[in-house]
Amino acid sequence: MDNNVILEFKNVTKKFPGITALDDVSFSIRRGEIHGICGENGAGKSTLMKILAGVYPWGSYEGQVIYNGNELKLVDRAIHQATQEGIAIVYQELTLVPSITVGENIYLGKEPVEFGVINWEKLYADTQQVLEKYQLDVPPRSIVRHLGVGKMQMTEIAKALAENAQVLILDEPTSALAEAEIDQLMEILRGLKQHGVTCIYISHKLEEFFKITDSVTVLRDGKTVLTKPTKQLNLETLVSSMVGREMKERFPKGNRKPGEVILEVEDLHALDPGDPDYESVKGVSFNLRRGEILGIAGLMGSGRTELVMTLFGEYGKITGGTIKMQGREIKIGSARDAMKNGISLVPEDRKQHGLVLIQSILRNISLANLDQFATLLQINDAAELKASTDFARSLAIKASNLNAPVDSLSGGNQQKVVISKWLMSQPKVLIMDDPTRGIDVGTKYEIYKIMNDLSEKGIAIIMISSELEEVLGMSDRVMVMREDQSVGTLDIAEATEEKIMALATGVATQPIPER
Amino acid sequence: MSTTTTTVSPTKSSVSQIGQQIRSNLQTYALVLALIIIWFLFFFLTDGIYLSAQNFSNLFRQMTITAVLSVGMVLVIVAGHIDLSVGKLAGFVSVVVAYLQAYTWHTLLPDAPAWLTTSLSVLAGLAIGTLYGVIHGWIIGYLRVPSFITTLASMWILNGLILIRTGGKTIPANQPLFSFIAQGYLKPLILGWILAVVIAVILFILMFNGRQRRLKYGFTLAPLYQDILKTAFLAALIFGYVGYVNQYQGVQIPVLILAIIAVIFSYISNNTKFGRYVYAIGGNREAARLSGISIRQNTFWIFVWMGFLAGVSGIIMASYVGYGTIAAGGGYELFAIAACILGGTSTLGGIGTIFGAMIGSQIITSLTNGLQIMNVPSSWQYVVSGAVLVVAVYVDMALKRNRG
Repeated sequence: MDNNVILEFKNVTKKFPGITALDDVSFSIRRGEIHGICGENGAGKSTLMKILAGVYPWGSYEGQVIYNGNELKLVDRAIHQATQEGIAIVYQELTLVPSITVGENIYLGKEPVEFGVINWEKLYADTQQVLEKYQLDVPPRSIVRHLGVGKMQMTEIAKALAENAQVLILDEPTSALAEAEIDQLMEILRGLKQHGVTCIYISHKLEEFFKITDSVTVLRDGKTVLTKPTKQLNLETLVSSMVGREMKERFPKGNRKPGEVILEVEDLHALDPGDPDYESVKGVSFNLRRGEILGIAGLMGSGRTELVMTLFGEYGKITGGTIKMQGREIKIGSARDAMKNGISLVPEDRKQHGLVLIQSILRNISLANLDQFATLLQINDAAELKASTDFARSLAIKASNLNAPVDSLSGGNQQKVVISKWLMSQPKVLIMDDPTRGIDVGTKYEIYKIMNDLSEKGIAIIMISSELEEVLGMSDRVMVMREDQSVGTLDIAEATEEKIMALATGVATQPIPER
Repeated sequence: MSTTTTTVSPTKSSVSQIGQQIRSNLQTYALVLALIIIWFLFFFLTDGIYLSAQNFSNLFRQMTITAVLSVGMVLVIVAGHIDLSVGKLAGFVSVVVAYLQAYTWHTLLPDAPAWLTTSLSVLAGLAIGTLYGVIHGWIIGYLRVPSFITTLASMWILNGLILIRTGGKTIPANQPLFSFIAQGYLKPLILGWILAVVIAVILFILMFNGRQRRLKYGFTLAPLYQDILKTAFLAALIFGYVGYVNQYQGVQIPVLILAIIAVIFSYISNNTKFGRYVYAIGGNREAARLSGISIRQNTFWIFVWMGFLAGVSGIIMASYVGYGTIAAGGGYELFAIAACILGGTSTLGGIGTIFGAMIGSQIITSLTNGLQIMNVPSSWQYVVSGAVLVVAVYVDMALKRNRG
């Protein structure tokens, strides 16, 4: 056995009723490397990680997992055992308790105790030590709720490392992070490597693999397609091995012809709903044309989501500025007002804000549009089913039938349900807040095509995205936000990553004129 | 885990989809099965007395007061709220109605016929319940005071009001026409049969209407014999029920009232915007709000309906016991809540059916009634009922886990 290999999967097969999630998976991970794993949704990445984390215990799968030269047998209290073995996982959805401090979270369940009393000084001293060792810049006594997503993630990583993890699994760590925070995370991971920690890095953002990983394994339909040093790979081979076909372009070419101005926003100001002394929108102006895709770029916390939520009437009170729809000034105080004026919003967090997960696909699609089928005393359920089916078909939602619960769908299909729901309301302006977050390459492409179709039909789209490539690939114009203000709008012809970042970070020396 | 399923098909005709339907209704079937087991258990333990026509009739009559409350409670819990005041609210209504029956109409309308005074009592009862519901809806929906606290406070207030109204005494409410509400039967017995025929005809008309509508929108239909069998089965149940209760005194008036209410509210919960919104709010409040649904307005109406139903329950209570007392309705809110949860309503909100709550209600009544017939002391009745409740909910949860 090669001592340089810390973890080896040997012919691992995991079956669920009616489905083979992992099919004879074999590959190995070298000690101290950063090993990327990629694959479309449903390729088997999560199943594999759940085996490592002890969620699926030894015996529930076939094949072997060799860890430090011995077979890993997680049986009793398997999840706990995995932690003790030094395997830690940082999930995509953060698992911190928001109402307590960073230190308390890191030592939750293993607080240093003397005579049955928690030794707080030791707890915070230990926390400080862990944070410093791995150069994590988080204040140990801050309440987690008050931290940004980036710092929360650092806390999560510190929590994993406090257990003396040898293998750290990061499941889509950057899906909620802005570019600057991603760079910071990359720094941290390089630091971990110095300390000899092996990282398994799962992501949908393929460029990241080239920035950070030493080797990459691609899974498709539960099988290993390749394991190679990153140096021997390029983006095209990675994408084509993931989807199993040649993928020439990541952003489909639309035939968009922006028409007349439909929405004009002039010096918009709004208050923060949680803190009425603070303005969360501090003067934003832009216009939007029929059949156009306007990208909104900016760092996390630059006020993008706050802006679109305000336009949708579900954020703080609007205190200044005007919103004009087709030349007529409109007042928006609630989602209902926005919908009446032809504005729809596909929210950032589809699980929290977009869907009623326990309900069926049908009920989710029709929820915002029952007025189309209902009188006070009755819903025409056949008409409802017909209309919902039409949308589900045209967006190619993959499901056995519309009565299936929405939480049984993959992320991409869930997003299509949210989009169906808002298309049914026949918007003139469709706001999409990070519409492809956490969605695999293939489905992303489908969503881009849907966006093109819609704009060709004359719907104006506002798209927020944390991925600059996506903004550049899909928009006709890009508005950049910084510190709750719009700081410039670029035509796609002149927009580059550098120009956008310059505006977003405020480093630009020369002001770029407003268009 | 590649997505093996292909396109969206809205119809549910294939065998696998019927299987899926059965699985998703497993909980309901398990509940009905539990009820039947309880019935047979007591049938043997009581040498058949338990399922005699008389006791069978009683089993349904006894559940009505709390079952009416649990109809509204389903909406309340599904929306993510709770109402602790409904028992005392029904109690208060019963006391006021009894007072009106016993004293007010005598002095105010000495020559009024019984039908008029009884109608006035009923209207007054409904008005009080609804008014209280309006107050709850306003405080909880618009002022956003948590429902737990609001209704707990109401429970105390209503308890006080009951003491004030009764002055610690029992108020008689046993006038013949008024007693008919909860103690009457459909007479002559042929009326029961006519009712059964009318319902069966309506069921078939609804079935054919539904098929027509689906056809109009271009859906393939389930085979006709399937729909006919289903509808015929329901009709047969109704005929069976009427036939058996006719062996005793006939169709019980309070059960008829309960059935009408349960059917109307089931319809509301499935087939109106209000009903859909209640489930969406309970399932994900934020998603509902962002779908343009007014949380305040819908919460308001939930509590208005709850108040109205507490009014109905209070009227039945006064007529059933024949008087208004200081203890009226005490603890009934917990029976109603237990019936809902036993019937599959999720305490987390978003899930629950009125049919389930009716079965839950009947299970609780069946237990109490059976233990009474067996002369089990009331102290032990409490112990057994409590234990059964926990076991039942545990079994239900275990079933759910297996399904997931």
